[in-house]
Amino acid sequence: MKSVWKFLASIKLAIVLFILITLASILGTLIPQGSSAAEYAARYGGSSGLFVSLQLTRLYQSFWYLALLLLFALNTVVCTVSRFGPKWRRAFGPSVEANSQTLMTMKVKSRFRLALPVAAAKDRIAGLLRSRHYLLTEYGRENGVALLARKRRFGVFGSDIVHLGLLVILAGGFTSGLGGHRVDVPLLEGQTADVPHAAFRVRLDKFETEYYPRGEVKAWKSTVTVLENGAPVLTRIVEVNRPLSYRGFSFYQMSYGWDWDNPRLELEVRKRADSAFSKTVALKVGERAPVDDADVSHVVVRQFVPDFVIGEGNKVQSRSQEPNNPAAMVEAWKGEERVFSGWIFAKYPDFGQGHAAGQSTLAFVLKNYAAAPYSVLEAAKDPGVNFIWLGCLLVTAGFFLAFYWPPREIRVVLEEVQGKIEVTAGGQAAKSREAFQSEFDQIFDSARRPA
Amino acid sequence: MTESTLFTIAFALYATALVVYFASLFAKREKWARNGLVLAAAGLVSHTAALILRTVVSRHAPFTNMYESLSFLSWAVVVALIVFSRKSRVPRLGAYLMLIVVGLVALASSPLMPKEATPLVPALQSYWLWLHVSVTLLGEAFFAVAFVSSLLYLAADTEEKKERLDALSYRAVAVGFPLFTLGGLIFGMVWAYRAWGRYWAWDPKEVWSLITWFVFALYLHTRIVMGWKGKRSAVIAIAGFLAALFTYFGVNYLLAGLHSYG
Repeated sequence: MKSVWKFLASIKLAIVLFILITLASILGTLIPQGSSAAEYAARYGGSSGLFVSLQLTRLYQSFWYLALLLLFALNTVVCTVSRFGPKWRRAFGPSVEANSQTLMTMKVKSRFRLALPVAAAKDRIAGLLRSRHYLLTEYGRENGVALLARKRRFGVFGSDIVHLGLLVILAGGFTSGLGGHRVDVPLLEGQTADVPHAAFRVRLDKFETEYYPRGEVKAWKSTVTVLENGAPVLTRIVEVNRPLSYRGFSFYQMSYGWDWDNPRLELEVRKRADSAFSKTVALKVGERAPVDDADVSHVVVRQFVPDFVIGEGNKVQSRSQEPNNPAAMVEAWKGEERVFSGWIFAKYPDFGQGHAAGQSTLAFVLKNYAAAPYSVLEAAKDPGVNFIWLGCLLVTAGFFLAFYWPPREIRVVLEEVQGKIEVTAGGQAAKSREAFQSEFDQIFDSARRPA
Repeated sequence: MTESTLFTIAFALYATALVVYFASLFAKREKWARNGLVLAAAGLVSHTAALILRTVVSRHAPFTNMYESLSFLSWAVVVALIVFSRKSRVPRLGAYLMLIVVGLVALASSPLMPKEATPLVPALQSYWLWLHVSVTLLGEAFFAVAFVSSLLYLAADTEEKKERLDALSYRAVAVGFPLFTLGGLIFGMVWAYRAWGRYWAWDPKEVWSLITWFVFALYLHTRIVMGWKGKRSAVIAIAGFLAALFTYFGVNYLLAGLHSYG
């Protein structure tokens, strides 16, 4: 048990862990994380199985990486705790009494004599030290008095507070990993959806994309209403960098798109032989739209794509979600006889009218196409996040103490020597020794030669 | 005056400062180094005006692409140089730091870097852009000071010089490390949580900042607890700066991830 404690309290373990965690982390940036098995097989061939079984493909969530972090946390706890007691006693405990000889061995020191009574000499020096925010402890002596002056005593605990902060952050990370969950909630305008694990629902009232003058996306804005028991309780606009928080859940603007599977289309039917003939029908995919003409009784749109492209195996696909090249596969029927079948392109009305239908007497124009926009919100519940912020605060405060709040300590011995008071002072500072030296000199120069 | 004129003036002044610094080294006239510092400070004034003008014109923080962030990083290195020149009494520090500054500014000015200010994509529209990037780059500028003084340490010939450079390197880390932690990691986590809904996603840039952080943590622990100084400390500080440089630069070009802004 003792040897385990000793092992965990060792700074050498910390150094080894620093290096191991660093190397492991680098490895994780060289191997793509969380890709599919096929990608690893293509990349690493026969050894890809080894990568997977060593969890190198999910390295930061792997058993061994987490074990390293856990060991690092234990090491931090034990190192901090085992050094804390002595530190506390040094900062706040009664100090070992100094004598004038030991003070004269210090780097920052001063010795002079004052023609004053002990009490007056002590008051003068104590006043000067207090005016510079030193806290004083006084010790009586046989032939005089000793002073211990300390300031910024909390500075020595800076590193401990940083360590505590890091542990809180690690605890937060584990809490997030174990207790957090997130799920994408796709919503069409007007649609209401359940939020998994939540006692409320969300409705998308409106979704809009704003553009800069030159066409780049400026913002995606989802107007979201939270409903409890069917009743709206709050409405807010969610956009990137402006999540909505409600009852421990956060809603983020994650993605967007259009419901192109259910477009609202408008198709104009024309006759080549009769330029006066024009009939526009509104229809959906798969729906029979009556034209009620002698040459064409009804039309059907079999398929619609917003960004037409011929993909693998000569299959029609959509290159993107954007309506760059909207196209509809149109069929026209005269009773039971199909009189037209072909792709109609909204942006190229003359193209494609031909192919299956070169001889057709009919022509079509895809006049309008619209699909409901949808927004994808991410609903996230992260119970670890408050630990993270607390830890970050502690780390920041600890850094401030450790680097910019260095403790200073001055000891003064006043002794009666040959009818005068001999003052011996020595001091030490944890950091910025030059600044300390000048403060020390100012204090004792004024003590020697009062203005 | 336009932003690019001011930037060019700054570039010219920095380059002149560099020449003066090196002239002072070769002619062994330490007093000339002060002129180098004055020139660098004059360049900084023009550079600051350029950054402000760009902010006003583009109406967003001047670090949203590689050109802008290189410009800001070089600005921060000059600031760090001025902060440390007052106390350090190391004339070589200015010479080699200006070499880095001129290198960064030259890279920013190269035709490879698109200089056009583009409107902000939604993910970057946040005041955390200011806090996260400026504080991180400022921290990295102080790592550059530690890097140069550590290199000079390895090349130094006398004990006195070595001691001064070792102390300088530590002081630079003592400024850079808290700034980097606050700006890079803490502000980064806060912003990531607001923008992406997760404070940590093991994105390559995040991992590399963590790696940089670990290297400097190693520097501090070996130094303060184990009493390492001198050569070993210098080597760790150099490794730390290189890790920071890779975080800033390499990750964007070599590893794909969320941080693909520049």
